[in-house]
Amino acid sequence: MNWKNVLVLIKADVKSYRIVRGARFRRFRENKLVTFAMYIGAFLLGAAIGWLAGSFYNGTIDPQLTGLLLQGTINLFVSLPTLVLLYGVVFTQIGQIQRIGVKTSIQPLYWFPITWEERTLASVIANTLGFPSAVTIFIGTAIIIASVLIRLVPLALLTVFALLASLFMASATTELSRILQVKLSGAVTKAAGRAAIWVRFAGTILFLLIFYVVYFTVYQQANPLALFEAVAGGQRSVWFIPFVWPGVALSYFAFGVWLETAAFSLASIAFTYVLFLAAVQLNSRFGLYEPPAIRVSRGAYVPRAGLLGRLGFSSMEAGIMRKDFKAFTRRQELMYIFIFPVMFAIMPILSLARTGVEAPALQVAHLVLFAYLSMLPGTIMAMILGSMMIGLEGGSVWYIHSSPIAAKSLVKAKYSFSVLFSLAVTFVCSVVGGVIWTPSARMTLLCVVEAVFLIFSLSMVSISFGIKGADFRELPRPRMIRPRWSLINGGVGMLLALVIVSPLIPLAMKLFFESVGAPIVISLPLADAYLYAALPISAVIASAVLYMFYRIALKNAEEFLIKAEA
Amino acid sequence: MISSLEPAVELVRVAKQYADVIAVDYIDLDVKRGEIFGLLGPNGSGKSTILKTILGLVKPDSGSVKVLGINVEDDPVGVKRRVGYVPESPRIYEFLTGLEFLDLTGDIYGMSPSEKKRRIDEYLDALELEGREGDMISSYSQGMKQKVAVISALMHRPELLLLDEPLNALDPRSARIVKDLLRELSLKGVTAIMSTHILEIAQAMCDRIGIMYEGRLLALGTMEELRARARMPGSDLEDIFLELTGTGDVRPVIEALLK
Repeated sequence: MNWKNVLVLIKADVKSYRIVRGARFRRFRENKLVTFAMYIGAFLLGAAIGWLAGSFYNGTIDPQLTGLLLQGTINLFVSLPTLVLLYGVVFTQIGQIQRIGVKTSIQPLYWFPITWEERTLASVIANTLGFPSAVTIFIGTAIIIASVLIRLVPLALLTVFALLASLFMASATTELSRILQVKLSGAVTKAAGRAAIWVRFAGTILFLLIFYVVYFTVYQQANPLALFEAVAGGQRSVWFIPFVWPGVALSYFAFGVWLETAAFSLASIAFTYVLFLAAVQLNSRFGLYEPPAIRVSRGAYVPRAGLLGRLGFSSMEAGIMRKDFKAFTRRQELMYIFIFPVMFAIMPILSLARTGVEAPALQVAHLVLFAYLSMLPGTIMAMILGSMMIGLEGGSVWYIHSSPIAAKSLVKAKYSFSVLFSLAVTFVCSVVGGVIWTPSARMTLLCVVEAVFLIFSLSMVSISFGIKGADFRELPRPRMIRPRWSLINGGVGMLLALVIVSPLIPLAMKLFFESVGAPIVISLPLADAYLYAALPISAVIASAVLYMFYRIALKNAEEFLIKAEA
Repeated sequence: MISSLEPAVELVRVAKQYADVIAVDYIDLDVKRGEIFGLLGPNGSGKSTILKTILGLVKPDSGSVKVLGINVEDDPVGVKRRVGYVPESPRIYEFLTGLEFLDLTGDIYGMSPSEKKRRIDEYLDALELEGREGDMISSYSQGMKQKVAVISALMHRPELLLLDEPLNALDPRSARIVKDLLRELSLKGVTAIMSTHILEIAQAMCDRIGIMYEGRLLALGTMEELRARARMPGSDLEDIFLELTGTGDVRPVIEALLK
């Protein structure tokens, strides 16, 4: 093993990952203080927390409380390796997900004199850098400083070693899953033939969905104290799972059982090494694996008239829309967008299932959730899609520039695509929400019509910003829109959304207060007819926004089409 | 409609500067209808900028550009409708199949379904892409992608072709087909302006050649005219090119590299 090679590869990996996340390098050599700022910060914070915790322990006079605190600290130490393993897997996986669509090639590494052991070790270590390492540094520093004051130094030192082993295990597991995912998706592509696109599409969405559902349910909603107790108490009963061996070794050490401590410590080291060897083996077999080509169509070419033509789109506009549809179902970095509405649907259902709300508050909660589900996912989709529609052309934007496409046709095609897609999302979400929460017909009408107003107007707002701030760079990762314009789009979009729904806010508040029986009375003019007056006002505002931003989008598109060199 | 006497492309005092770099330095150029015109020059000499300016992709800082009788600035879409363009190392939508990309091109140029089918089938057969047309472009070699880009530029029967290194990465047979096709099209009145690094191709194919260096058009004419200009009778284009650009003495560079 050439450690110099490993170090160089880690540096390259870290730099590329930071570029993926949007960092810009102006100089070849970076300022070391900036590079390590996060780790220094974690160290200082850990030291401070550790000192505070240790001082608190020493300052406690009540012997009963001291005993409880000591037991709690030991429980915490013992549970930490397994917890670090769990968050290590999650965050290294998130790192991999963020690299979906990265176009930089790492192939040049393979004709340098570098072995697979060096490559794999560098990749595993590089995966742990960033947030996972910073958290580990924070925990490690805190427990060492605290342990000096509490007089638990041997246990704390062993805990730090166990933390490092767990983090390495987590990263090696992510490395293994990455290689297997590539190989598996290649095998599926090969076996699926023409259906490969849809299999790949469904597979990607399913993977992301399962990952985020697990992430949200376990990490966002679990009680941390309950988790510590459960892990500390439970890991010895699942001793046959090698991933908990560092924690099991610690728990035996805490009770002074030396033989078991030694056995599980050695077993932990052996398992970590086995994981690493497995990753090396898989990398050497499939590291240079090229997934097979996807054959989409066979046989003679038959041009289709298509539904879009019958809906009044010119062949050019329909062609662009068909192309964009294929982009969203075939480009992995764009498939990501499909999980947003599903996540929006899942999160409130999960939170409602957890909080045992009782009637009549439950009825109000149902109404709020229906409004949320029918209006928000479609609107957010319209804003995200609209802002990405031009930037997604990427490096192939020369084709749009060199083709006889008028600004009007470009805006029409991109806008129509964004609107149709977002309306479909709203339709599906409203049906799902309607089935689950059974709102009244009036409530359904209100929410769906407002969602339509928002989608029609905010799509155009986002298209206009999307053209202005389009980012066509594909290296190292397609961004589609420059961050500044993405923020502007989000801010202006939210503000305009509020303005559009504003005529309905008094009615929504009145319904809310009535439902919860609050002693606040909102008296509306026209009373029963208020809804039918507010909706047209909302429609007029939405139309004005739509028209104003259509003019802006058109102007931006005209500029974009003649400024190909920018 | 353009008259037969009017040039297909007319550049008058065209200049373009990027920051401190002068890409095009007040160039005047007329390209006749039906002519195959070659642009030669080292990297960064302004060849691609000239092609992009003609298509309206780059707005010149000064000067005017007329294409097929149309002022590019006045009607860029009208110009693009009548031009076929192959950029250098074209990046085409990798998530489409070759067939889908050509179908999109047909749609953008408003071709009828029957015309689209006939042309696509003809070109796929001629450039030996049949059998791979249904595969996603991401799996194509560089040469196959180049073939798709060339077909895309030719299939709508443009009156002017702007080709930036069109034979890059093409296999010998396909390169031969493209060259012969350009010759045949020029006889039918189609004008072609191509930039190339391959001097033999320029010498064999082009009616006239323009040699560019640091944004300027150093020399312009037929092979005979260029030989006369360089005072190198009987020489080939490589010698003339190196002489005119003053880059012929490569010995010191070789010696430095061998040290």
